[in-house]
Amino acid sequence: MHKQTFVAGAMVLLSSASFAADSCGEITIADMNWNSASLMANIDKYILEEGYGCEIELIPGDTMPTGASMIEKGEPDVAPEMWSNAMRDALQKGVDDKRLRFAGNSLSDGGEEGFWVPKYLVEMDSSLATIEGVLKNPQLFKHPEDDSLGALYSCPAGWNCQISTNNLYVALGMEEAGFDIIDPGSSAGLSGAIARAYERGQGWLGYYWAPTAVLGKYEMVKVDFGSGIDEEHFTTCLTQEDCLEPRPSMWPPAPVKTMTTEDFAKREPAAYDYFTKRSFTNNKMNVLLAWMEYNQADGEIAAEYFLKNNEEMWTTWVSADVASKIKASLN
Amino acid sequence: MSDTSWLSKFPQLERGDLIAIRKTLDGAYREFSRNYGDTIESLFDPLLTFLIWFEKLLIASPWWLTIGVILAIVYGASRSWKLCTGVFASLIAIGVLGMWDDTMRTLSIITVCTLLSIGIGIPTGILMSRSNRVQAIVTPILDVMQTMPAFVYLIPVVMLLGIGKIPGVIAVIIYAVPPVIRLTNLGIRLVNKETLEAATAFGATAKQRLFGIQLPLAMPTIMAGINQTIMMALAMVVVASMIGVKGLGQPVLKSITNQYFTLGLFNGLAIVALAIIFDRVSQTYAKRTQKHLGGMNND
Amino acid sequence: MTDLNKASTEENETLIEISGLYQVFGNKAKSVLPMVKAGKSKDEVLAETGHTVGLRDINLDVKRGEIFVIMGLSGSGKSTMIRHFNRLIDPTEGQIKVEGEDIMKLTDDELIQFRRHKMSMVFQHFGLMPHRTVIDNVAYGLAIQNVDKTERLASASQWLETVGLAGYGDQYPAQLSGGQQQRVGLARALCTNAEILLMDEAFSALDPLIRSEMQDQLIELQAKLKKTIIFITHDLDEALRIGDRIAILKDGILSQVGKPVDILLSPADDYVEAFVKDVNRARALSTQTLMQNVNNTLESQSVESAINSLNASQQEYGFVCNNEGYQGVVTRSQLEQAAANDSNADICCDELLIKVPSVSPTQSLQSAIPEALGHNFALPVTCKDGKLVGTIPRSEIAQVLES
Ligand SMILES: Nc1ncnc2c1ncn2[C@@H]1O[C@H](COP(=O)(O)OP(=O)(O)OP(=O)(O)O)[C@@H](O)[C@H]1O
Ligand SMILES: [Mg+2]
Repeated sequence: MHKQTFVAGAMVLLSSASFAADSCGEITIADMNWNSASLMANIDKYILEEGYGCEIELIPGDTMPTGASMIEKGEPDVAPEMWSNAMRDALQKGVDDKRLRFAGNSLSDGGEEGFWVPKYLVEMDSSLATIEGVLKNPQLFKHPEDDSLGALYSCPAGWNCQISTNNLYVALGMEEAGFDIIDPGSSAGLSGAIARAYERGQGWLGYYWAPTAVLGKYEMVKVDFGSGIDEEHFTTCLTQEDCLEPRPSMWPPAPVKTMTTEDFAKREPAAYDYFTKRSFTNNKMNVLLAWMEYNQADGEIAAEYFLKNNEEMWTTWVSADVASKIKASLN
Repeated sequence: MSDTSWLSKFPQLERGDLIAIRKTLDGAYREFSRNYGDTIESLFDPLLTFLIWFEKLLIASPWWLTIGVILAIVYGASRSWKLCTGVFASLIAIGVLGMWDDTMRTLSIITVCTLLSIGIGIPTGILMSRSNRVQAIVTPILDVMQTMPAFVYLIPVVMLLGIGKIPGVIAVIIYAVPPVIRLTNLGIRLVNKETLEAATAFGATAKQRLFGIQLPLAMPTIMAGINQTIMMALAMVVVASMIGVKGLGQPVLKSITNQYFTLGLFNGLAIVALAIIFDRVSQTYAKRTQKHLGGMNND
Repeated sequence: MTDLNKASTEENETLIEISGLYQVFGNKAKSVLPMVKAGKSKDEVLAETGHTVGLRDINLDVKRGEIFVIMGLSGSGKSTMIRHFNRLIDPTEGQIKVEGEDIMKLTDDELIQFRRHKMSMVFQHFGLMPHRTVIDNVAYGLAIQNVDKTERLASASQWLETVGLAGYGDQYPAQLSGGQQQRVGLARALCTNAEILLMDEAFSALDPLIRSEMQDQLIELQAKLKKTIIFITHDLDEALRIGDRIAILKDGILSQVGKPVDILLSPADDYVEAFVKDVNRARALSTQTLMQNVNNTLESQSVESAINSLNASQQEYGFVCNNEGYQGVVTRSQLEQAAANDSNADICCDELLIKVPSVSPTQSLQSAIPEALGHNFALPVTCKDGKLVGTIPRSEIAQVLES
């Protein structure tokens, strides 16, 4: 690692000597296994390669392993979409130890979490957009194993959100209302359950998050707890396993950040600067994800589509000079 | 055409065509699941009811009664006190370490999966052994079942049948049933030809040959297949828990995401203990019932 | 040879008749058949089409009550042939009739009934069921006929006793020696009481001693049971010893069918000749194979009527038998002398009888020769109870010994 830094450093020196200051070396970017992150990684790759002359390698990743590897091994250089709550303490420690940097918010609104119901249910009965309406109608949310209960699909086993879901289940009095928590086992199981209900026009209630391909594709409505957001209570109690007196609170927006290693930020200041600016609104991301889903496009194809059709957006992330280079390559 | 790029680059379908194909097939599947999902699901209702009942039975019965029944079965099958002691010790350890309920859940689903696999596998194996054509058709299907990554069919199954026990059972069976099919087929095909000819020559009907000669003589091989099937079913416990099957798999998943090594290890060991119990019991049972075969089997 | 007193009508009754039988192994057997019929050799057919010619234009008939031996070298098609009798193999072409009925036309059910009641089979490698006890093996044929359990076990233990295995009923086949296992196989075949017994190299897997013991047992049983036996062997000595008639197979073609003597004394072709060349005929042939029917038997009667009988059959001497069986020989000249004294005297009196020693039907010709010395009569053959079953003319003996 030290040796690598040395070599990289030497290269920066060398290149800055012989070329202009905008030259760029090799960068590794985590290509996470969900659509929005993969889209960002591919957009970053295109812009950095065409606009900055970097050499980009995409490395498959996932929140936990990539986060751990960046803290411990300094690799890969960039994680384009990091849901930092998932490993908040570890990441914060990485930043404090000067190993990591949060370059910017990849999703400017933050991630949206909550209990969701399909939109067609709300269209049928608008009260179902609120928790009171939901609690009155457990029969609408069929439990797979017990007809007398309603089902609340929780967050997959072992995820942080499982704790907050369980606490909210208690806080909202869902058990008394005749609901049972169902562990979907994995995110694939969870999205499969949504898809099944949606395709058949059935009721469904459960935890999910946005922006995601699933919520891009299936229109869902976030259930209003009528409590607003109590961020203080949420972080100190609802997210803790030993929360004794949980009170209802909506999820505060989850920080979704572009994270880089400290080493990268120092080595490639121009590229780092780009990452501080690159950001999407949830609305924009939902539209893009829906497009991806509809066209079954992968990150690479979607990145090209985005760059061709959303010039007004990405040109604000780079200098005019870089923008023109990219535009030229796109044609 | 002077374009020779196909020489250096594989002449693949146009991107648009590929996407069109994928979208059409996906759409067709969605359509199918929308139209027939409920019907298919209702076909599985009796099985689901049984699964729920069996799981409740195992969990609700007092632990000492459950252990007693298990030991009785173990002794009945193996006639070995040593084995009984081992089983007793592992069950006690599982209980003390707080994994009793999850173990009972896993035990219930594995038992049902094994019984279903045997129920599906042996008849299929028999059919295969009777016709080379059936064998030629079924063998590649079994290959696919064993090598296809589980998630490829898990999520479609979830779309069709929802989350939980039924898709779990289906996933486990898809993965675990091939050995029993293969070895039933093999066992029957390996039955000494002259012995079978003798039965035919004395006027045995096809049914008399099957139940009087082929199955009994193939039994050691079939038992090996059943044994493997159980092992593979247990190996699928964690995967099944990814679509919401409760049991020892869930804590394992939890420990993977959170790096709770000890939790993972305990639950993993509980799965291993179940595997060893199933394995030893079925093997000693097989050995005990096949004693008379001696060395005569392959003359 | 069952019926040692072969009535001439039964002797000629055909029980099984096979005509124009072809067997070609392979996927497109039918389409290869014309080639086989055109006379291409087994090797040529194999090289050109990958099909094996098993049997080619077999025509033969088996008479009721005989032991019909099929013999030939390994691969000559013996097993293939015997499996046609009960349709373990179906012919590519040809007819198989049993008691005049074409068994190719049997429905599945009829075929099963046919196998249960008409034929049973003993296998080269025993074909016992290792998971059943000896007694259950023997009772198997009855068990699949759904015969009541006590009844079938009673019958089975009786047969076990017959083959000398009383007390072994509860053992498993693996616990028995090869010879014992084959006896179980034999008992199993006999237990269904089927008329026809198929035996595919039944004794080949046994060592020479046990083998000849089994042969004796078979001959003995056959004398009692009078079945029709089709017996396969690749051993000429065995064939000669037990066969009433012998068929010789070569590469799926029938080379010769005939009595042991015919085979020995007039081989049809080089193949058969090579077979019989080194055989010690006197040792290989049993007396019964040379034996002919007696037409000059004299019962306990007066001298005068005895002379009349001899005149009628134009014989110079006669074999005297009474209720206790064969007694001796009387000659015409002696009878005529005696007639001068007392033409009503009984011929059984000791002065008249010449005590020509008799031989048993199963003993080899060689061992019978000493008995033929010292007189000039045909050699009388008697079975155990002393009954005269035939005689061997001296000319026959001479012919066997000289050529
Ligand atoms: N099922 C089969 N498929 C193909 N060829 C066969 C089959 N059964 C027998 N044959 C062939 O038919 C020929 C005769 O075989 P068969 O078993 O009848 O010989 P055999 O005279 O009984 O020999 P052995 O004394 O060795 O038992 C052999 O060439 C053999 O290869
Ligand atoms: Mg043979």
